[in-house]
Amino acid sequence: MKQTSEITRATANTQQYRKDTPCIEMEDVTVRFDGKTVLEKFSLLVARGEKVVLTGPSGRGKSTVLRSILGFVVPESGTIRILGQPLSPGAIWRLRTMIGYVPQEPDLGSGSVRHWLERPFSYRANKELKKNLAKLPEMFHQFLLPLDLLEKDVETLSGGEKQRVAIVLALLLQRPILLLDEPTSALDEASRRKLTELLCSSSDLTVLIVSHEPELLRAADREIRLS
Amino acid sequence: MGAVDLSIDGLVIYYMLLIIPLGLMLWLHIPMVGKTLVSIVRMTLQLAFVGLYLQVVFKINSPWLNSLWLVVMVGVADFSIIRGCGLRLSRFASPLFAALVVGTAVPLLFFVGPLLKRPNLMDAQYVIPIGGMILGNCLRADIIGIKNFYSSLQKGEKAFLHSLAQGARLKEAILPYLRDACEAALMPTVATIATIGLVALPGMMTGVILGGANPVTAIKYQIAIMIAIFTGTAITVVLAIIMTIKTSFTSYGVLDSNCFRK
Repeated sequence: MKQTSEITRATANTQQYRKDTPCIEMEDVTVRFDGKTVLEKFSLLVARGEKVVLTGPSGRGKSTVLRSILGFVVPESGTIRILGQPLSPGAIWRLRTMIGYVPQEPDLGSGSVRHWLERPFSYRANKELKKNLAKLPEMFHQFLLPLDLLEKDVETLSGGEKQRVAIVLALLLQRPILLLDEPTSALDEASRRKLTELLCSSSDLTVLIVSHEPELLRAADREIRLS
Repeated sequence: MGAVDLSIDGLVIYYMLLIIPLGLMLWLHIPMVGKTLVSIVRMTLQLAFVGLYLQVVFKINSPWLNSLWLVVMVGVADFSIIRGCGLRLSRFASPLFAALVVGTAVPLLFFVGPLLKRPNLMDAQYVIPIGGMILGNCLRADIIGIKNFYSSLQKGEKAFLHSLAQGARLKEAILPYLRDACEAALMPTVATIATIGLVALPGMMTGVILGGANPVTAIKYQIAIMIAIFTGTAITVVLAIIMTIKTSFTSYGVLDSNCFRK
């Protein structure tokens, strides 16, 4: 448990920002796809260390909120700020290194699980974090993943295994902000409980989760319902 | 000693041989008789036009006219690749044209200059056939490589975006796709190099032998042309993908769907 807390304690990157700077700010954000409005004048403020759950019926733009924060969707109007920095083409590359992301039904591509987990640590932005790979056995144990899974092809993994492997990587990357899109949709009860426990164990970690999981909703600081 | 010329009458009679494949198509009800006839007519007209034009080009042998002919060939290849890959002409024409010019010019000039030691680097007798062979192979490889690159990115968009979310810069995120695309594009040329002379006698070698040269000279030409083709193909595929990245990704590093033809 102690080691897990160390992994989720994301402090280094946030220290350069004022403590009272909100981690995520969205102000009057409007997103449209092919003439269809997905988000209209949507605003959101997530403080440092807060655990916020986004809920609402499907098609109301919950995943779009996360994708907008990552710069995968560019809003038609409105402003997005991460740790006080406005999202822009110049800043996006640095801001993404402040965020850990687990998409819904992650596509891990091809190759072995070990290769998939090691690859992000070859990126220039993550090279200094390579030592975190030593924590892999412990993290796998925490998420009830057998170690021999590391040598398996990612394409042979079940949905729940893919989700847990993606969560392990997001935690190993030690980001101050975590965006999780339905992270428990394919997890069993024990893994769901472990994830909730992990996320709540770090007071510095800011988490924005799309979920309807009662356990996460109970543990979160706030629920924002998109209707 | 040059190749024996073919008489027009003889060639017309030789066309009669086509009755065999056309007859087989009719007999087996293969629905491609019309297409085959159109293709044969097109081949005849295109080659007749090119033959007449090349006669003039060879006679004048002006470096400028020869260069212009190569530029036209590059332009046609550029257009064919973009169409073959389902991409937008307005976005890809210029970067792809530049990649094809570099990829064709580098092995071609080394062939005519240091290897053949021709005083005129743009000598029609060498520049046009060798340039055409390099370009023709680049065209085939570029279609495979560029199509593979963009279709893999489209199919694997989730994995690609995930790598951006993990902190990858654009060049780091596209590297696996670039690697796969280059492998797919270069594989046929590598396979051809490995089996050349065993499976079929290549066109260049056949041409040199028909032109009256001895087989050893023909083999030396064939080795040189295979090196030229492989070098040109590798340069154009890598350059074409790298040079089109600027026009096909948004400033946030996301693949722009507007770069594909609807």
